[in-house]
Amino acid sequence: MNKTTLVIITLGLIIGIGIIFWGGLKGPQNGTADTPVENSEIRDGVQYITITAGGGYSPEFSIAKAGIPTKLIVKTKGIYDCSASLVIRSVGFQKILPQTGSTEIDIGIPNKDTPLQGVCGMGMYNFLINFV
Amino acid sequence: MNKYKFHVSGTHCASCKILIEDILNEQDLIINAQVNLKSETVEVETDSDVSPQELTEILTSKIKPNGYSLSLEKVTQEKKGDDVIWKAIPLGLVFLVLFFLLQKSGFLNFGIGGKTTPITSFIIGLIASVSSCLAIVGGLILSLSAKVSQDNIDDKKNLVLFHVGRIVSFAILGGLLGMLGSAIGISFTLGAILGLIAATVMLLLGLNLMGIFAKSKITLPSGIFKFFRKIEHKTLTPLLIGFGTFFLPCGFTQSMQIAALSSGSFLTGALIMFAFALGTFPVLALLSFGSASLAHSKFAPLFFKVAGVVVVGLGIFSLLGGLAGIGIIRPLFNI
Repeated sequence: MNKTTLVIITLGLIIGIGIIFWGGLKGPQNGTADTPVENSEIRDGVQYITITAGGGYSPEFSIAKAGIPTKLIVKTKGIYDCSASLVIRSVGFQKILPQTGSTEIDIGIPNKDTPLQGVCGMGMYNFLINFV
Repeated sequence: MNKYKFHVSGTHCASCKILIEDILNEQDLIINAQVNLKSETVEVETDSDVSPQELTEILTSKIKPNGYSLSLEKVTQEKKGDDVIWKAIPLGLVFLVLFFLLQKSGFLNFGIGGKTTPITSFIIGLIASVSSCLAIVGGLILSLSAKVSQDNIDDKKNLVLFHVGRIVSFAILGGLLGMLGSAIGISFTLGAILGLIAATVMLLLGLNLMGIFAKSKITLPSGIFKFFRKIEHKTLTPLLIGFGTFFLPCGFTQSMQIAALSSGSFLTGALIMFAFALGTFPVLALLSFGSASLAHSKFAPLFFKVAGVVVVGLGIFSLLGGLAGIGIIRPLFNI
């Protein structure tokens, strides 16, 4: 194969990697930056946001109300991968989640437009909650 | 007194000059040795009467363990180098695409419920060895074993020591976790820092394997490579690296550490971590011994460069992930 062909193949592969990393291959239940998912409910004046961990976090983008006491519930079911080691820097949370169970994290009263970002220990999975 | 000029091959860094001169000047029959990196020659002064041919053989035997050799004739460098790199880049990228596709597919994310037993931890080890943890552990192993082979070090011995070090220290540390019940292995910050160091090593070795440094003779990382050359001869080094992989950031390893921790006994903790390390062994062994044998085959030039491309890719991935993990940069991807 000559050099030009190889260069073209190389460029194609780089685009391929770009699509794998940033392409929109996600289902609607995961949400995107433009269309976040609402996954919260308010009980007794406390807002509960539910995120499922396991091979990443779901939903990746969600939206909740600002200005009320909020708790994040992270559900796990038989997981061992990176998403089990969760770090939420803004509230100083870092812990290995139980393989199966649900972890309640108090995130106080979130401010408007200060999103909450969770990331796994190696940094390859993350989720973002916007407060409005 | 006789003066000879030999061609020297294998000089890939500025520190090579110092190393070769040191070794040659130690020899009794050498009065003075001077390396010229630019022309890849070494001038020696000697008062012995051995023939230049004999002298090349004697001196080569002294510096061969460090990956250098002398010759009377200039060894013609393969001028095909440029073509090799253009074949290596797409090939390396194909491996990266397949690896990331496997991660994205979600194929590896099935849940394993119930109590962690040595059998489940062996299965989890098997999964972990092809998961995103491979980016950091596998990338490190691939780069180190390719580098060790390239430097003509006794690679098989080093690789065996590495795997022994890894499996034995997993068992012992797992046992300690079970016995002490406290989190010796589970510091996020320590793991993150080690992860970043590993990623940096991968990037440097990857670029070196691709021949980026060798070609332009960039002298900047010479200190690092000198240090690397010095430590890669020590028996302890591969054992220590094997030990260190226990602390590298990997969700699977950390989950297993928690399981060992809550087991409450030395034996159970040791068994869980031992079984996990054993589960990761097939893929890691394939990576390390596979690269060692390819490095001695006729595909060696291509192999080193492909390995370099793969390692650089995994290094960038681990570096960006690691930086996001400790909060220095915003997470750039979800994979």
